[in-house]
Amino acid sequence: MSYKCSRCKRDVELDEYGGVRCPYCGHRVLLKERSRDIKDVDVE
Amino acid sequence: MELRVIEKEATMVSIEIAGEDHTFMNVLKGALLETEGVTAATYDMNPEQSGGQTDPVLTIKTDEHTDALDALEAGTERVIQKSDDFEAAFEAAA
Amino acid sequence: MQDYEVEFVERGDREARFLVRDITPAFANGIRRAMIADVPTFSVDELRVVENSSVMFDEQIGLRLGLVPLTTPVDEFEVGDTVTLSLDVQGPGREESTETVTAYSGDIVTSDPMVEPADENIPIIDLKPGQRLELEADAVLDRGREHAKHQGGVAVGYRHLQRVEVVGEKGEFEDDEPHILRGVIEEQEAAHASAGSGGEPRNGELVPTEAFDHDLTNRYPGKDLEVVDVPNAFVFHVETDGSLSVDELVTRAVDSLRGRAEELRDAVQL
Repeated sequence: MSYKCSRCKRDVELDEYGGVRCPYCGHRVLLKERSRDIKDVDVE
Repeated sequence: MELRVIEKEATMVSIEIAGEDHTFMNVLKGALLETEGVTAATYDMNPEQSGGQTDPVLTIKTDEHTDALDALEAGTERVIQKSDDFEAAFEAAA
Repeated sequence: MQDYEVEFVERGDREARFLVRDITPAFANGIRRAMIADVPTFSVDELRVVENSSVMFDEQIGLRLGLVPLTTPVDEFEVGDTVTLSLDVQGPGREESTETVTAYSGDIVTSDPMVEPADENIPIIDLKPGQRLELEADAVLDRGREHAKHQGGVAVGYRHLQRVEVVGEKGEFEDDEPHILRGVIEEQEAAHASAGSGGEPRNGELVPTEAFDHDLTNRYPGKDLEVVDVPNAFVFHVETDGSLSVDELVTRAVDSLRGRAEELRDAVQL
């Protein structure tokens, strides 16, 4: 899962052991990035 | 366009025309009323919310010299004729 | 059989007014309804969003793209056919001095030149530096009764042609209230009319009420008037969204009625 640290703006990869914490600055607020997949949208 | 005959006698026919709405049915009804031998023509359509029948049911009654299905055919011919005439007049003016 | 008489009052590519005489209300209404709901036009129906870092959700962008009118050539496509379009717009770069870049309908690239945005100046979204919108879209041909975005006719209606007759002089002390009328009048006693704009009044002439500011007292000062609807004479007002011309819209609406009559006739004959 790719996230972005809300304080230092660096990309963060989370694994299941590290807990929710930026490994660079220790900040605990991480933002989830939009997936790089192409998204299909039905126009209604 | 799927047809289902509900009732048929020599001078009367009641027919369900699936997939049509007021746009065509009212034009057809109007043309039928102008057709010779037709004594009565109407259609009935329930709104979708009524939960029952939603496809229009056309009912035609004719005099004793006219077969109801022939009258329906003549009515459709009349709509075709009207369309041709209108298009000719429109293109002449355009 | 029927002798329709068509006369144009106003004529443009996307907007027109024309009078039809000797047409039944049922047929006139059938044509009107067919123009709105039964003449198919292309409209965006599916997106593949590669990147959307704009401030709007993909679905909102999709709705906006769906509302962009696309040109629909006659007899080239069938209902359900699709044409692929694409859009790729970026916000301003560092060296650019503008604060935003607007993505317009004109930025849409089409894979088929016959199907393209009818207008190039419809704004889709503003993009700030670093934002980008990149997508591929499928436009599908469908009818107005499926979704309003497929409507080709956006303002379609008719009014009775109105005949104005002068029945006498207005009394000297009668109040001069305005006599408001909208539509097109057929001038009967043109000798009593005074031309507000346009040429000399003539009998039988069709005059849009805009010509006298919709007020009959401007055109017939001091006259007592009678206004009657002319039976079976309708003035159609047709405006399209640009996906087709007025002529195409009208003839295709009539074609769709004829097509259904033919289908029913063939089904009955069996």
